Amino acid sequence: MTENDKFAVEVHGLTKVFGTGETRVEAIGGIDLTITEGEFVAVMGPSGSGKSTLLHLIGGLDEPTSGRIIVGGDDFSTLDDDALTMIRRRRIGFVFQAFNLITVLTAEENVALPLVLDGMDEIEAHKRATAALKRTGLTDRGSHVPAELSGGEQQRVALSRSLVNEPLLLLADEPTGNLDSATSDQIMSLLRRLVDDQDQTILMVTHNARHAAMADRIITLRDGRIVEQQSLKNGRSADQVLADLESAL
Amino acid sequence: MGIKQAILGLLSDGPVHGYDLKTEFEDQLSPTTKLNFGQVYTTLDRMKRDGLVGQEVVTQTERPDKKVYALTNAGRKELEEWLTEPTKLDLDLRNETFLKLMVARRVDWADPKRVLAVERRACLSQLHEMTQARAKAERDGAPVQTMLLLELALLRLEAFAKWLERCEAVLSQEDAQ
Repeated sequence: MTENDKFAVEVHGLTKVFGTGETRVEAIGGIDLTITEGEFVAVMGPSGSGKSTLLHLIGGLDEPTSGRIIVGGDDFSTLDDDALTMIRRRRIGFVFQAFNLITVLTAEENVALPLVLDGMDEIEAHKRATAALKRTGLTDRGSHVPAELSGGEQQRVALSRSLVNEPLLLLADEPTGNLDSATSDQIMSLLRRLVDDQDQTILMVTHNARHAAMADRIITLRDGRIVEQQSLKNGRSADQVLADLESAL
Repeated sequence: MGIKQAILGLLSDGPVHGYDLKTEFEDQLSPTTKLNFGQVYTTLDRMKRDGLVGQEVVTQTERPDKKVYALTNAGRKELEEWLTEPTKLDLDLRNETFLKLMVARRVDWADPKRVLAVERRACLSQLHEMTQARAKAERDGAPVQTMLLLELALLRLEAFAKWLERCEAVLSQEDAQ
């Protein structure tokens, strides 16, 4: 990392406790984390380790018990509800395991919806929706409703929708959880290309080692704490791997 | 490891010269397996002795005559059987990580969890390299042989990562008891 790199996300002393007394559960038990702009970070860990809670907190979908979250320079703790909603709407994109598309709207209308709801002129919103669909390789499917699309295509519509406001940060919670392995690989390649070609910052939760390994860094959580951090950026080049493979046997 | 039968396969649509067998094997069948000529000719000699291939001499006008190898009926039968019968699965259970883990459980100053954590890091690094290599191979339009071998490597690494997770879970349960 160089001096010019900017943090997309800073998390300091983050905790999240659900319930009180005997039902008290500490979901996040003190996390410090920074993510550089243009970095692809995967979060792994067993069920109940706090992966999704961490993602929800960083996405402003849930409020921390203590600690600070700063996304793109905006400190959540200093923002009122309206301001936080604006950050969520304009600077953060979300993709989930469920595609959450509106069944009666076409792909393009689904993608344009966040902009229209945010008060943007419809013509401009649709222009941007077309551009977002292009980013995920879905140029010719814009006029189809979700039922006419495959699972992989529906997830690409959902991904386009999350990218339509050109978010600083894309949060993905098990984005391939509902897809078969070949389609999952396509979605993962797409995420990787968004980072490589367009400097998109991505924080992704997954339990799949193969998908996590496509990121630049893997963070492993256990009981709400980071127990392992691994940068994947200093390995052999792709050409070297292919050459080694040819002489392996 | 099936080299013999693979050569029979290369002879199945007509006689081939020994030299061409090496290049055809590497280019068309298995880019990761490098044969040396010695290996090819030893295999051919043995198969000739066993009646699986025959040798023919092709007379050439401008060059010296060349010896080519051709499939016999017995050779065709051997190839058919090999292609139809299941291969003995190589499960590779003599796994060094497994051994290391068992030793770490015995040695009182060693920590099996630490062993697992180190193995997991190495496995994830390799998975990362392999996914990058596959993306590159895909972009470059690599032949189907390379793509399928990469897929085999990826799935093995993925299985290994899952096994390490299981080990971790089982050892944690053991600790809790």
